[in-house]
Amino acid sequence: MEIIAGLLQTSILAGGVLALAALGEVLAERVGVVNLGVEGLMALGAITAIATVIATPSPALGFVCALGVGFFVGMIFAGATVVLRANQVLCGLALTLMGTGLAATIGKAYSGMPAPATFAPVAIPYLSDIPLIGRAIFAQNILVYLIYIVLPLVLHLVMFRTRHGLNLRAVGENPAAADAAGIPVQKFRFWYVTAGSSLAAGAGAYLTLAFVPSWSEGVVAGRGWIAVALVIFAGYRPVNAVLAALLFGCITSLGFVGQARNWPIAAPILSMLPYLGTIALIIVPVLAWHRVRRLMAAPASLGEPYYRDVR
Amino acid sequence: MNAIPKTSPARPRGTPPVVLLKGICKYFPGVVANQDVDLEVWAGEIHALLGENGAGKSTLMNILTGIYTQDAGEIIIDGYAQSFTSPVEAIAAGIGMVHQHFKLVKAFTVAENIHLGWSETPAKISPEKLESRTAELAASLNLAVKPAAQVEDLSTGEQQRVEILRVLARQARVLILDEPTAVLTPAEARELFRALREFVSRGNAVIFISHKLDEVLEISDRISVLRGGRKVTTEETRNCSQKMLAKLMVGHEIVLNDLRGRGAGAVPISADAVLRLDEVRALDDLGNVALNGVSLDIRAGEILGIAGVAGNGQKELSQVLTGMRPICSGNILVNGHDVGAANAGEFAGFGVGHIPEDRLHSGLAPALSVTDNAVIREYGRAPVSLGRWFRPRAAIALARSIAEAAAVSVPDFTMPVRNLSGGNQQRLVARREMRIADKLLVAAYPSRGLDVGAINTMMRYFVELRDAGVGVILISEELEELLNLSDRIAVMFHGEIMGIVETASTGIEQIGMLMGGQRAAAPRLEPASI
Amino acid sequence: MLALTAAGIVLAASGAAPLTLASQVIKSTFGSSFGLEDVGLLLTPLILTGLAVSIALKIGAWNIGAEGQFYAGAFAATGIGLFIPGPTVVILPLMFVGGALGGVIWILIPTLAKAYANVSELITTLLLNFVGVLLAYYVATGPWLDPGGHALGTTARVRHEVPEFWGTVHWGFPLAILLTVVVAGLLNFTRWGYEVRIAGSNPQAAKYAGMPFRRHLITVMLLSGAIAGIAGMLEIAGTVHRLQGGISNNFGYLGIMVAVLARGSALGVMAGAALMAVILNSGIILQTQGLNTSTVLAITGLILFFTAIGDELAHYRIVRSEPTA
Repeated sequence: MEIIAGLLQTSILAGGVLALAALGEVLAERVGVVNLGVEGLMALGAITAIATVIATPSPALGFVCALGVGFFVGMIFAGATVVLRANQVLCGLALTLMGTGLAATIGKAYSGMPAPATFAPVAIPYLSDIPLIGRAIFAQNILVYLIYIVLPLVLHLVMFRTRHGLNLRAVGENPAAADAAGIPVQKFRFWYVTAGSSLAAGAGAYLTLAFVPSWSEGVVAGRGWIAVALVIFAGYRPVNAVLAALLFGCITSLGFVGQARNWPIAAPILSMLPYLGTIALIIVPVLAWHRVRRLMAAPASLGEPYYRDVR
Repeated sequence: MNAIPKTSPARPRGTPPVVLLKGICKYFPGVVANQDVDLEVWAGEIHALLGENGAGKSTLMNILTGIYTQDAGEIIIDGYAQSFTSPVEAIAAGIGMVHQHFKLVKAFTVAENIHLGWSETPAKISPEKLESRTAELAASLNLAVKPAAQVEDLSTGEQQRVEILRVLARQARVLILDEPTAVLTPAEARELFRALREFVSRGNAVIFISHKLDEVLEISDRISVLRGGRKVTTEETRNCSQKMLAKLMVGHEIVLNDLRGRGAGAVPISADAVLRLDEVRALDDLGNVALNGVSLDIRAGEILGIAGVAGNGQKELSQVLTGMRPICSGNILVNGHDVGAANAGEFAGFGVGHIPEDRLHSGLAPALSVTDNAVIREYGRAPVSLGRWFRPRAAIALARSIAEAAAVSVPDFTMPVRNLSGGNQQRLVARREMRIADKLLVAAYPSRGLDVGAINTMMRYFVELRDAGVGVILISEELEELLNLSDRIAVMFHGEIMGIVETASTGIEQIGMLMGGQRAAAPRLEPASI
Repeated sequence: MLALTAAGIVLAASGAAPLTLASQVIKSTFGSSFGLEDVGLLLTPLILTGLAVSIALKIGAWNIGAEGQFYAGAFAATGIGLFIPGPTVVILPLMFVGGALGGVIWILIPTLAKAYANVSELITTLLLNFVGVLLAYYVATGPWLDPGGHALGTTARVRHEVPEFWGTVHWGFPLAILLTVVVAGLLNFTRWGYEVRIAGSNPQAAKYAGMPFRRHLITVMLLSGAIAGIAGMLEIAGTVHRLQGGISNNFGYLGIMVAVLARGSALGVMAGAALMAVILNSGIILQTQGLNTSTVLAITGLILFFTAIGDELAHYRIVRSEPTA
């Protein structure tokens, strides 16, 4: 039985990385821009966080710095794709290469060093005393609560229950209609892409501050890409994205458990599970029936730059 | 024509017009969209803007609503000069437009669309709140809409009502409608007119852009005619007639250039049909019925024109005629053989050429070279191909001969075809298709976006084909073109053929009526025997 | 040009003097036959992965999975090489076929998903990259671990080798060039190639002309996978002779760069691969100076970024000043 509790605990912890990155990508894609640079942003966030926390033992500062770096880099990406209207796919790939490479270069000096201070678990009184699942769910670090509860709820409410959110979604669905309705399309796109990038970097920080918690080259291991795929699978909705991330955290932690308990399946094979699982899941929405497909459909203008003055 | 009730209320002297446009000019690369256009719209009037496609009506309105900025001229609203750099400013000034292509978010509900980008939308929303607000709004403005429905699922008439509601809710004082009745049934059109009259009786104004002469005469107080980017005249509606308006719209050249006469060597019209459609039904991309039991035939050596406002099934018709769209029921016969199951490549093999409506979208690969595009029909046969081998040199030679026939000077055959001007591209496509069209050529809106010289060249190509014994189906919005060239004209409306008339014995008024949805009184042409 | 300047700035920022580094690189690369041989060895996989991505682009597909297909090919080749007995003359071609097949299998699911369900191949091919690397790592540390115990995490040495043709550069190099020429020939001199080019440029036009888009999509993508798999096989059989987790120096990802730089021309693929090989080699040389291949990766990304922006700006100018009839 402790296995289940342990599994749950690790799943939540592992899924947190994906969840935060996915939330960021939801923001970007909801305004119509596909940001394939998430992997690179996560790497940058990860190295920034670890470097900061080693210099000043404050994980909170590390996290904030990572967010800042993501914000800054996000502005560059948004500038290229939204303002200059360059090909989003190419820019995203370029960002991943640049981010991963740069982070690895800087990271040489920090390789393997454990974070001197991480986000300690914060037990919620009473709730964490629930037998079995209490400790697993309610005694996690503060970032987990943020990522799993606060952020998705806030994003969901904003996106679906406010005027601002309505306008936001319109920008992603039909920028021409939004423009004609007086909504500042480019502004929305620029700032939400930047915000999304910031969150992606934050996910990287989470990786080195709460999950691993240290840096090594290749620590991101494709999680950024899984996050992008998750967003598709989650139908571009914040709450679904976080749940999907949890599912993946589960798959990942199964792998850990398997290794720890010497299951007959080799470690690398178990590590493949998340990726294979993602591929399977990305194909599923297409096979779903029409009504569901409509609910989960991508914003209609995803990936296309917006030109107002086009004949 | 019934006498139109005068809707403008009494106005105090010295009140400026609601909208005054002075000397508006707008240019695009290679095209003069508007040149020195003046327009005056008064409170309480329904002002019609009439003109053929490309006359500049939509551009002018896009300037008024802030989507484009004029290159010269002034916009004066209620006596104050305004400059709009974005749609928000125009909306704030009380200008609202219902576009021909609706600016609705298909994935949203009606209520969500109404509340889009609207300062009066409450900061916190919920589906119930939005829907009840929408229902209230609709009731107060007397427009029936379904607040909870997804726009995707609505008919075009219903979608239009949503658009109108959206615009009116923003306290628009000037309502601009772009070809509104193109997508309405006659009953819905009546509804619309009633709503418009109510609207202007409260001191507002309506600008009504249209093609359709009878409607314009019915609903408007004054009419302004645009042609070639300039304003021709503004008249009081009660002083106008359909004939006079048609002439103003099209210009005095309407009866010159009659190309229907045959020369001595021309092949006469055959008795048998080269291609025949029998009660064909087809769906459009969204799954709605686009062609509803269309029957027509075309004979060798004749030009059949297809008239009608765009959006009544012409695109689907041209696709069905060339094998690009499958049919649901009915028959397509080429020289008596049923070809309903053939694809586009096979149709080309039968000798059916196709000048598509949007050449850059389907007829050409814009990023590829001129050569690659020129041989797209003949790449599979000698001399361009020998067995499996493709011979670039032979391809270039073919491309050269096509370019020569089209009188297009190509500096470099390897450059992307999109670098050529629209007129050159169209001529190239036309001659390319003419080479393989030994039975039939289907030309969809061939003169769209072309200047007069290029258009004349197109016309001559069709005459050339016709005289050589090939059938030509010409789909066009330019009545002048159809009257000059076609031996017979079929008019399409809402996916059906309203009537097929002999050009020699018909006139604009009759065609206008057919375009407006009234069936021909005379029985349809009996099907020729095959 | 802009990109290279930016690259210089990045290098400077990371504490190294760009000009001295550059001169060192040039001396090491071109000053000795060893340097040129190293570039030659790098060229083989780069040309092939660049070709693989290029050809997929011709039909409008993004094969980001060249890295995984590379490993899959290497895996298949190693398996055949280690466990099927026979003379080199027989086994080597078998390895070649195995490598190609490995790549095909690796791209099969993304291909079918795209062709029949319109699933973005970008993500599916990419995810399989990680699986590919893990697969290689797994066999190299597990079932196929070198029983001689010389090193941890590598298979035994595959004794079937591609013969050398100049210094240490093996026949894989001219083979790669040959393949590129053959593919270019197919694309430009056959009916099939013409149809592929039209379909990739504008699927609607392909429909207009009656060409079978889906069939071509599948064929081309599988071919792309096969070529990337061959790259992996040649790397095993020609250069490293052992399968382990890190035999690819990001060849798959650099192949994307090559394809983007090449803009669809065969010559471009070779030129782009040459440039990448030199940059990669510089990274390896400069490793002694404290820089590493990751920086190279970052610089590559920078170049890609500026290329993407430059592309858009150039196109914008052309559209804006269209020639009149």
